[in-house]
Amino acid sequence: MSSDREANMLRVLTHTSWRFYLCFGMFSVVALWGLYGYILQLRHGLIVTGMRDQISWGLYISNFVFFTGISYGGTLISAILRVTDSGWRHPITRLSEAITVFALCVGGPMVIIDLGRPDRMGYLFIHGRIQSAILWDVIAVSTYLAGCALYLYLPMIPDLALLSEMKELAPWRRKLYRTLAFGWTDTPAEKHLLEKCISRMAILMIMLAVSVHTVVSWIFAMTLRPGWNSSIFGPYFVMGAIYSGTAAVVLSMYILLRVLHLEDYLKPVHFRNLGLLLITFALLYLYFTINEYLTSVYKVEGPDRVLLHQLFFGDYAVMMWVTQAMFIAIPLLMIAGVLTLKRLRRFTPSVVALASVLVVLGAGAKRYLIVVPTLTAPFLPKTNRGDIPFNPPLPFNWVHYRPTWVEWAITLGGSAAFLLMYMLFTKLFPMVSMWETRHDEAQVEPAVAPAPQPAPQRLGSIATTVIVLIAFLLFGAGLAQAGQKRQPKAPQATTLSLEWKQEATPAPTNDGAEQAQPSAPEASGVDGVYGRLFGWLPVESRDRTQGLPPSFVITATLLGAKGQPLAYQVVGLSLKTSFGKLDYGSRPTNAEGKAQFSMQDRRYGQYPVEGTYDGGAEFAAAHAVTSVDFGPRPEPSLPSQGVLITPYATAWIGLPFLGFFGLVWAVFIYIGVYLLWFRLPQIRKQQAQST
Amino acid sequence: MSTSRRDFFRSVGGGALVASLSSMEGTAAKVFHHVLPARSTAPTNQKWVMVIDLAKCDGCGKCTQACNAMHFVPPMQQWIRVYEVLDNPEAGPYYVARPCMHCDNPPCVRGCPVGATFKRTDGLVMMDQDRCIGCRNCIAQCPYGARSFNWSEPPHTPEELSHKYSMEEGWPHRKGVVEKCDFCPEMLRAGKLTACADACTMGAVYCGDEYEDAVTNSKGETIQLSQVTKQGAGFRLLEELGTDPRVYYLPPVNRKYAAPGEPKSS
Repeated sequence: MSSDREANMLRVLTHTSWRFYLCFGMFSVVALWGLYGYILQLRHGLIVTGMRDQISWGLYISNFVFFTGISYGGTLISAILRVTDSGWRHPITRLSEAITVFALCVGGPMVIIDLGRPDRMGYLFIHGRIQSAILWDVIAVSTYLAGCALYLYLPMIPDLALLSEMKELAPWRRKLYRTLAFGWTDTPAEKHLLEKCISRMAILMIMLAVSVHTVVSWIFAMTLRPGWNSSIFGPYFVMGAIYSGTAAVVLSMYILLRVLHLEDYLKPVHFRNLGLLLITFALLYLYFTINEYLTSVYKVEGPDRVLLHQLFFGDYAVMMWVTQAMFIAIPLLMIAGVLTLKRLRRFTPSVVALASVLVVLGAGAKRYLIVVPTLTAPFLPKTNRGDIPFNPPLPFNWVHYRPTWVEWAITLGGSAAFLLMYMLFTKLFPMVSMWETRHDEAQVEPAVAPAPQPAPQRLGSIATTVIVLIAFLLFGAGLAQAGQKRQPKAPQATTLSLEWKQEATPAPTNDGAEQAQPSAPEASGVDGVYGRLFGWLPVESRDRTQGLPPSFVITATLLGAKGQPLAYQVVGLSLKTSFGKLDYGSRPTNAEGKAQFSMQDRRYGQYPVEGTYDGGAEFAAAHAVTSVDFGPRPEPSLPSQGVLITPYATAWIGLPFLGFFGLVWAVFIYIGVYLLWFRLPQIRKQQAQST
Repeated sequence: MSTSRRDFFRSVGGGALVASLSSMEGTAAKVFHHVLPARSTAPTNQKWVMVIDLAKCDGCGKCTQACNAMHFVPPMQQWIRVYEVLDNPEAGPYYVARPCMHCDNPPCVRGCPVGATFKRTDGLVMMDQDRCIGCRNCIAQCPYGARSFNWSEPPHTPEELSHKYSMEEGWPHRKGVVEKCDFCPEMLRAGKLTACADACTMGAVYCGDEYEDAVTNSKGETIQLSQVTKQGAGFRLLEELGTDPRVYYLPPVNRKYAAPGEPKSS
């Protein structure tokens, strides 16, 4: 019996029906259409899309979020269920891991398609700035893709060895399988080592997946825009990803069940269990959605108001309500109905699959609703009414985003490419893990009982799964700044002379608070370190000069032709800057012919200060210039706003990333190079020697 | 081939140690030293600042016109854009001219993945069209909408194309990169006003060097920066976002022109 169902499953590797060619051809046409769209976009620029300056991210970015979300399915099914040791997962691990890899192969390039200058993509590596959320994404998604590929490959090794023994296969294929199988001889020691590799990878993949979906959300959450500026985005995205990913797994299960006739492997219990998981995720997603919107709906802050109106009653209202219904409400009711009503129970696979179609489509729409509406609600007005010259109102398509056919072509082309890769995969590799399912049979068959596993046990493992999920969500949420110069005028000459001196201490002002401030330690201790790090210092202590600037007193002395002081004459003072003259007004001279100007300005460097006496009927005009030194200019420096704007890779941000993703890569290398490439042949040799 | 696990890790670890030690000096120099790279250091030790007196702005758009002409700004872009703002119906509308704010805590610089936009010691946020990859994260980051993107190849004039590209002037323009107001640093260093300040017939736009504590407008009026921002109740746009802009606004009080929407008197 076991060989029967296995032979049935493997038939697809050798037999290709006309339906396969038809679908393959159709998807190829769609993929080529998308390629044509991209070539057009490369030639003409992003003008061929519906994006403009106001709404500068659109379908491509929402596709990126959607496909990375779908990719969560594989990790969930194989890694989380493996860690919680749910035995029923065995027949569905391979097909879900494949979803992960191929969804990432389509999702990652969506960001490159969105670039204005894809030819400069390499700059991300040459000039990459670790402070940017975009770079975090590049690191996280590429690490995730590498991990998923390794995680798809590892459990396939024993199957590849089995396949290389199959005489029905063409010699080149058997050779390919033999190469990929790494000389697997299926000894217990080898199996033990492989199980070790897989279980370690499983734990790593869960952490990695949570980090990837959190980092994806940070592209949005690290901006100031209303609607994106939200602390819930990390777990919200992780939840949405698990939800849509699980739905994608159910969908592919259903298609494979119908196309490849895998009834012997994919039983109603799988649809039932995944249906229960889908209900859990739908409820959790509902909870997150209510949390996200209710907190801003209750307060309606200024900039949020426009966005919320757009979403709930305006341009996006229909889409919003339809999406909420088809993403959460309808699938929830459908699955709950089919699982609880006894009469409907036999429709479980079809209904859960249908609900999954809604969830996958709804996930795409929900991503669009996260990306686009926020951009239509900027802080400053989107456009003018038209009475301001040279600042005309923007055309309709600049303030309202609608994807063009090119964007749809690339989106559908990407989806078609995903399906093509998946189809080819089914032709090349067994979609069900043979060695793991054989192991199940060996355990189940002695019991003979065809009856379903006792429900409490299954529910128990699902409960464990949910608890582990929630724990990881919490973990993800936790992850979460002069010279004197005389110009005597001829007749009744007067002399104006200027003297300046800097007052020793800043003049105490009547404001007590200001006086106290210089003594307060500004940027010292832990507070100062973190303040400098992220620019968190409060505005007062960020003040460039402590307290008050030094005060200067400039004394203009007006003397008559005989050197006698001229009293009650009006003397003016101005300071020459590089753009003009700063007027300090005029003062009358006192009995000693002196007029005092005091300045307490935030000024640095030497400036010519000009005193003027306009003269009158009695006295001639006079004028004097002196150079006042206000102290040296500060050293050229960047504003002290912490690590986020420095031109360097900073250890404060670099090290956590290096630590986490470096650790992940180290484990990849440990498993891929040490255990697989080095240790495995050794074990095999020892085994051969001992026998 | 009797290499034990310990031997394996010893050789791998030794290799990693040698590699990390040899790269450490260069990396440490890059990460920890405090010498600014050449592109972040401005030619002169000045700090540019702008003051826009909203009481004087009559929304004539001359600043936009002059800026567009000087920088050959591509169509549909305004590096300085005049907005009509209505805070609440009772307060009445007013005009706001919005150049790049050249923030001291610039969200665009934080978000740029390749350092194509960066802060310079003269306070300016520079835009390097030779490096921009066109990801438009800066547009998403900028709360002032001060950035535009060349969605297609911009139309060129022979005069524009004859010029050699420099970061300070920002032209000739290219397809697929982000553009914004550059504060005309070459003009400022020569002691001339920026295109927008020079063209403002109302004298509403002042610019100058923060270290001189003075700003000057097209009418030759020089005002003291620290004085007007303190006594004139100067403010910065969207101060609550913590971006620390280098453009100050004076409130639209006692206006001498028709408010937006009213018939122009002169």
